[in-house]
Amino acid sequence: MGMKLTGYRRKELAWLYLFVAPPVLGFLIFGLTPMLFSVYISFQRWDMITSPTWVGLDNYVELLKDEKVIKSLYNTVYLMIGIPLGMMLSLLLAILMNRSIRGISFLRTMYYLPVISPIIAVSLLWQWILNQDYGLLNQMLWNWFGIAGPNWLGDAAWVKPSLILIGLWSGIGGNMVLYLAGLQSVSSTYYEAAEIDGANGWQKFSRITLPLLTPIHFFVVVMGVIGAFQSFSQIYVLAVDGGPEYSGATVVYYIFQHAFKYFNMGFASAVAWMLGLLIFFVTLIQFKLANRWVYQD
Amino acid sequence: MKMKFKWSAMLLLAMTLVLSACGGNSNSGNQPVNSNKGNESSNQPSDETGTGNEPVTIEFMGHGNPSEKSIFEKLIASFEDRYPHVTVKYTSVPPGEYSQKLTTLISSGKAPDVFYVGGSEFYRFAEAGTILNLQSYLDGTELFDQDNVWKPALDRYRYNGEKVGTGDLYGLPKDVGPWTFVYNKTLFDEQGIAPPPAAAGEWTWDDMLAAAKQLTVDQNGDGRPEQYGVAAYTLESAVWANGGNFIDYETGQVLVNEPAFYEAMQFVADLTLVHNVSPNVEAEQSMNGYTRFLNGQLAMFAMGPWDQPAFWELPFEWDIAAWPASPATGETATWLGSMGFAVSNKSNHPQEAFDLAAFLSLDEYGQRQNYELGQAVPNLINMAKGEFLETDKAPANRQVFLDIIEDYGRPDVPAFSKDTQWIDLFWQQASRVWNGEVTAQQFTAEIQPKMQELYDKFNK
Repeated sequence: MGMKLTGYRRKELAWLYLFVAPPVLGFLIFGLTPMLFSVYISFQRWDMITSPTWVGLDNYVELLKDEKVIKSLYNTVYLMIGIPLGMMLSLLLAILMNRSIRGISFLRTMYYLPVISPIIAVSLLWQWILNQDYGLLNQMLWNWFGIAGPNWLGDAAWVKPSLILIGLWSGIGGNMVLYLAGLQSVSSTYYEAAEIDGANGWQKFSRITLPLLTPIHFFVVVMGVIGAFQSFSQIYVLAVDGGPEYSGATVVYYIFQHAFKYFNMGFASAVAWMLGLLIFFVTLIQFKLANRWVYQD
Repeated sequence: MKMKFKWSAMLLLAMTLVLSACGGNSNSGNQPVNSNKGNESSNQPSDETGTGNEPVTIEFMGHGNPSEKSIFEKLIASFEDRYPHVTVKYTSVPPGEYSQKLTTLISSGKAPDVFYVGGSEFYRFAEAGTILNLQSYLDGTELFDQDNVWKPALDRYRYNGEKVGTGDLYGLPKDVGPWTFVYNKTLFDEQGIAPPPAAAGEWTWDDMLAAAKQLTVDQNGDGRPEQYGVAAYTLESAVWANGGNFIDYETGQVLVNEPAFYEAMQFVADLTLVHNVSPNVEAEQSMNGYTRFLNGQLAMFAMGPWDQPAFWELPFEWDIAAWPASPATGETATWLGSMGFAVSNKSNHPQEAFDLAAFLSLDEYGQRQNYELGQAVPNLINMAKGEFLETDKAPANRQVFLDIIEDYGRPDVPAFSKDTQWIDLFWQQASRVWNGEVTAQQFTAEIQPKMQELYDKFNK
C-alpha cells in the first residue's frame, strides 16, 4: 500500500485526528506531564512555596528507612486479606443470584447498591454503625449474642478488620456482577455432558464452573490488589490521622499527609513512585503466574 | 482469545501505572515551579492613599463557620465604605481544605492579597518570603496603637529573618484564643462542692482530683460512669504547670523525657487509669468530652472563646476558672492560640491590602462584633478590659480569659515550628500511655529520640 491518499481519505483522517485529539491531549497535559513532573520533583526537596532544591536520591533513601512507610505498607497489605474473602462471598452470592426467581433483579440491585454509593457517605455511616457504645453492630452483638463488641475503630487491633469488613460490604456487589456474567457465559453443554457421565453437583461446580471462571478470578484479584494498594478515601474518614497508633494508615494516606499536610512534595512523590513501581511489579508477577492457573478456552 | 487476553493485559498494566501515579500526585502537575522570592521593591508603602485613587480590587481568603463568614461580610462592607476606591473579593473556604488550597494558590502565583495564616504556616511563609513585612506600613498608619494590642498576640507574628517571635511584624492577629478551664456550675452546686476559683494558683491538681471523684457518678455500677468529673485534661497545661516543656525552641532540644514532663503526663493518664474520673480512650471515642459537657454529663472541661455561642444555649450554668496548679510548683499554665492576617508579598496593592488587614484586626466595630457574637476576645486591650469584661453574658469570670493572655498563657506547641511532624508523632502514639500500655516515663524515653530526629530533620 503506497502513501498516496485520496482527498476523501485524507479528509477522513483529519476527522479521525480531530476526534482522537481531546482524550490524547487530555492525557498528555493532565496525565503524562504531571507524572513526568513528579518524577523530577521526587529528586528535589520542595514545599511548594520556595523553589525546589536538588537532593538526588535522598528522598528514596529516606523512605526506605522511614518507620511509617513500613507500617503503612504493612497496613495496606493486611487489608488485602479482604480480597479472597470478598471473592468467596461474591461468588457465593452470584450463584445464589444466578437463577430465575421472582424479584431476582430487585435482589441483584440491592446487592449492587453499595458499589454505586458515594464512599464518603458510606464511610460516615459505618462510623456510626461501628461506634462502640451506640453503634448498631455492637448493639446487635449484645442483644442477640450477649457479646460485648470491641471498639472497632478506636482499638489499634480492630481498625484493620473493621476496614476489611467495610470493604467487603461495599465491594462484593461489583464482583458479584462479574461472576454472574461469568456464570451465565458457561455453556450448558458442559453440564449436560457431565450429567450424562454421572457427575454430582459438587463435581460439576469444582470441575466445570470454577475452572471456567478463572479469567474472572484473575481479573478480580488483579483489580483487587491494585485497589487495595490505592485505598485512601475510607481511611481518610474512618481512621482520623491514621487511626490509633497509625494502625489504619495506608501508603496513599501517608503520601497524602506528606504532600498536603507537611508539604513535602518531593518525598511524597518519591513514595508515590515507589508505590507505582510496586504495583507494577506485583501486577506483572500476577500476569506471569496467570499462565499456570487461568484457563483460556 | 489468547490475543485478546494479551491486549487486555497490556491495557490493565497501563491503567495501573496511570492510576497509581495519579493517586499520589494528582496535584503536582498544576504548579509551575515558581519561586516567590524577590519583589522586594514592593516593601515600600505607596504614598498614593489620598483621594481620587484608581479603583482597586483586592482578594481576601479565610476560613471558618457560617457565622464567622457573615461577620466578615459585614466588616468588609464597612471597610469598603471607609475606603470607597477598594473592592474586596472575599472567599471563605472550609477549614479542612484551607491550607491545601492556600498553598496551591501561592505556588501557582495566585496568592490572595490578604489571607489567614497561623502557627507553623506563618513560619514557613515568612521564611519563604511569601508574606510581606508589614513594619513600614504599621509605622505609617494611625489605625494602629501598638500598646493597645496584646503583646503575646503580636509577638507571634514577628520574624527576624531566622526565628518567629521577635523582629518585624509580618502579620496581624485576627484573634487571641486563650484555652480555658470550664466547669458545669450546676453540677458543683448540686453536690455542694465549692467551684474552682478564678485566681491562678489557688486550686491544685489535688483539689481538682478530689472534686472530680465526687462528681463522677456511675449510677448502674457497670464500671462505666454516666457522669465524669473531668475529660480530655489538657496535657500542655499539666506539663507547663509542672515546670516541664515539650521543647526548648532556643536550642531545639525536645524535652519530653524529663521528669517534669512525664510526671505531668502520668498525672493526666492516671485520671483515667487509676482514679476513673475521666473517660478512657474508648469512652472518649464513643462520646467525646465536648458532647458529654454539652449533655451535662461532665463537670470539668476545656474551652476556647469560640465555644461560647454553643455554650450560651446550654440549660445549665457554667463558668470558667483558672487551670489547676501543679502541687509541685504552685504554678499554672495553658496555651494561647491565635490566627493572623498576612499580606502577600506579591500583592499589586500592598497598601490597600495592609489597610484591610489592619482594619479587620484592629477596627473597633469589628472587634466589638467579634466578641458580642462570641467568636473571640478583643485584640484591643482597652476594649477587652472595658466593655468586654462588663458584658453580662456567661462566663461570669471573664477576667480568666484576660489573665491567660496577660499572665500564664503560652503559644501552643507547634506555633514556633516550621514542620509539625515531631509533635504529631507524639500525639499519634500517646494513646499507649492513655490506655495504660506503657508508663509515661517509658513512653517519653522511647519517643524522645524519634521526635528529636524529626525536629532536626525538618526544622533546622
